Amino acid sequence: MKSRRTIGIALAAISGLVAMAACSSPAPTQTSVSTPPSQSQPAGDATITYWHAYSADSQEITVLEKTVIPAFEAANPGVKVTSVPVPYDDLHQKLVTGIAGGELPDVVRSDIIWVPELANLGVLEPLDTAMGDFQAISQAVYPGPLATNKWKDHYYGLPLDTNTLVMLNNPAAFDKAGVKMPSTLKEFAGLADTFKAKDVALYADGNLNGWNVLPFIWSFGEDIVSPDVTKATGILHGPQSVAAIQALYALYRPGAIPAFVTQDGATDPADGFSQAKYATMMGGPWMYPILEGSFPDLKFEATMLPAGDGGSISVVGGEDIVMTSASKNKEAAAKFISYLLGEETQKEFAKIGQMPVLSSLAGDLTAIQPYYATFSEQLKTAKPRPATPAWTEMDTRLEAALQELFLGGGDVRKTLDSLAAEFDGLLAQYQ
Amino acid sequence: MAAALSGANTLAPRRRRGNPSSGRGWRSPAYLFLLPGFAVFSLVMIYPTVQALIMSLEKWSPAPGVENTFVGLANYAKAFGDPIFWRAMANSGVYTAVTVPGQIVLGLICAVALNRALAGRTAFRIMVYIPVITSWVVVSVLFKYLFATDGGLVNWLLADATSLMDQGVDWYNGRWTAMVAICGLGIWKGVGWTMLIFLAALQAVPESLYEAACVDGAQGWQQFWHITLPSIRRTTLFITIMLVIGAFNVFVSVQLTTNGGPANLTQVPLTYLYRQAFNFLDFGYGSAIAFMLTALIFALSIGQYSLGSKSAQDAAA
Repeated sequence: MKSRRTIGIALAAISGLVAMAACSSPAPTQTSVSTPPSQSQPAGDATITYWHAYSADSQEITVLEKTVIPAFEAANPGVKVTSVPVPYDDLHQKLVTGIAGGELPDVVRSDIIWVPELANLGVLEPLDTAMGDFQAISQAVYPGPLATNKWKDHYYGLPLDTNTLVMLNNPAAFDKAGVKMPSTLKEFAGLADTFKAKDVALYADGNLNGWNVLPFIWSFGEDIVSPDVTKATGILHGPQSVAAIQALYALYRPGAIPAFVTQDGATDPADGFSQAKYATMMGGPWMYPILEGSFPDLKFEATMLPAGDGGSISVVGGEDIVMTSASKNKEAAAKFISYLLGEETQKEFAKIGQMPVLSSLAGDLTAIQPYYATFSEQLKTAKPRPATPAWTEMDTRLEAALQELFLGGGDVRKTLDSLAAEFDGLLAQYQ
Repeated sequence: MAAALSGANTLAPRRRRGNPSSGRGWRSPAYLFLLPGFAVFSLVMIYPTVQALIMSLEKWSPAPGVENTFVGLANYAKAFGDPIFWRAMANSGVYTAVTVPGQIVLGLICAVALNRALAGRTAFRIMVYIPVITSWVVVSVLFKYLFATDGGLVNWLLADATSLMDQGVDWYNGRWTAMVAICGLGIWKGVGWTMLIFLAALQAVPESLYEAACVDGAQGWQQFWHITLPSIRRTTLFITIMLVIGAFNVFVSVQLTTNGGPANLTQVPLTYLYRQAFNFLDFGYGSAIAFMLTALIFALSIGQYSLGSKSAQDAAA
């Protein structure tokens, strides 16, 4: 018995030491271990891996893999691109796991809100130093989407596609109620009872996070953080923010906004929207191919978001293209990024709802897809979500606080007061 | 039992005659045979566990080359003061309290029913077992739609098809209604496994015991209570321990149906630690939660095993 215990302790100690030795292996002290482009492999005979969350519900993956990548490979002999589609909901987790395990791809199509976080972790290559043609490209793209790539003193990516939310409305529902889509939030909210009398909900949404709620706060004339993204107190709980949340709650209580808005995407509003059970929902340009594919008979229209005291202010969405510091093929990766931002590639994606970022294509947009007209107009005043690595946690807390408020019927001002203090603490970590 | 006891008696003297240095000591070839398995176990279990333990004592960053700060037990202290963590633990306790007995009772009923000569017995067994081999992801998404507020099949059945209710239930808008859906999924998916294990145990109960009971005048229910249940006691213990471990580790179903919401009301430890680690990049806190959960499950398993063994010995005595 004694010998068995001794063996057990010895083996445990050995495995512990192995673990500790592995943990204490020398680690570089810099936050970034980037390799200068000159030391990476030349562009010839290179394979670059590309992680993206292009949708399989429309033609996005097909266009990338059957049209864009083959054309790039033909133009760059010896360079191969491996496309790795990842569902959007899994991409952030896959990136974090890849960072921890040192297994990142060469190029990533990242949601614009993740770029500051990834840059702060030191895993992105600053493109303003890594790409020779960065200046030229950065001057060719819209400044708003470009700004989402800046973290501290560098640009860690380039915008790849942009979008915003507009109000999609179902004419069948409006005809049923005998009303027209109004242009102001006040008139919009005033239609709730008219629609209810016809068993139609005014407006449906599946979430209460920043992407869905910020347009209302901004349109009411408030913001959630200071312009330099350092504090939320004095802003998030301002009178117009409180009024915006109260207005949404006032619509939610009688069912003018269906109950599933608090359920984090448990119900897709598109189903009820297609049946004219909900008169309106917000949507981006990517919704066109999806709605046309799922509901071929559906007729719907897009209008600007109804305006409040602050105007009609939507949220800037879209994706940036970034190169990882760990890439061993930076030269080839840079060529691929440049190719994705070429006019032809941008036009190809524009056909399937991916709004181009090149200002030179502005005049061609409606010829490519007529529905871009409303989105282009809405983008003129749209705002980005706060560019901070803390945003993911801020957004989660905002959503949970609003869910609690809507379900429990608490005090809006008090909820936003405590949220502002929490946001201050989160933002302070990155100053 | 008598045979087993006599077996134990005959083995005892031999064990005493054994020489530790030649046959059963640490130089025994048995340990050499164990070594490769233990090496693999160390690599895939002990090493990551030790890594995670170290992580739980640090402010750990996934970024390459960043020095991690040792914070002692701060992450554990944070958990003790975090109401969402306690709610998550309570939710997993509720999930365990509902799904473990649910799976055992329904699994046993199915096993007893399908242990008899019955037309289409194999087909019924396969039907009950199919949920076990389906993907958690697929069935979780399926349940999400089944219990959807608007257009969900459950609400359609309750409100539209049968008029049992005036209007549908907002299943995912409340803590307990959402737990109904999550627990329902857990039971539905697990019954096939418990049935299978119980079936194997039932088939091992000697027919002679039932014949003897029959001679003594014991009928259906009495036979089940006095012969079947005591005979499968150890299987029941095994199933209980495994199900409790599984129940506290519930993750995919919650992550995909409610994502811990609304307002963190349906968080369970794994969804909460996943959010801390992979969404907020607070791997230290996530690891601390993982260790606290491990400690709880370990203690529960030891407790169940001790109680189960003791009651089995009492029954044998």
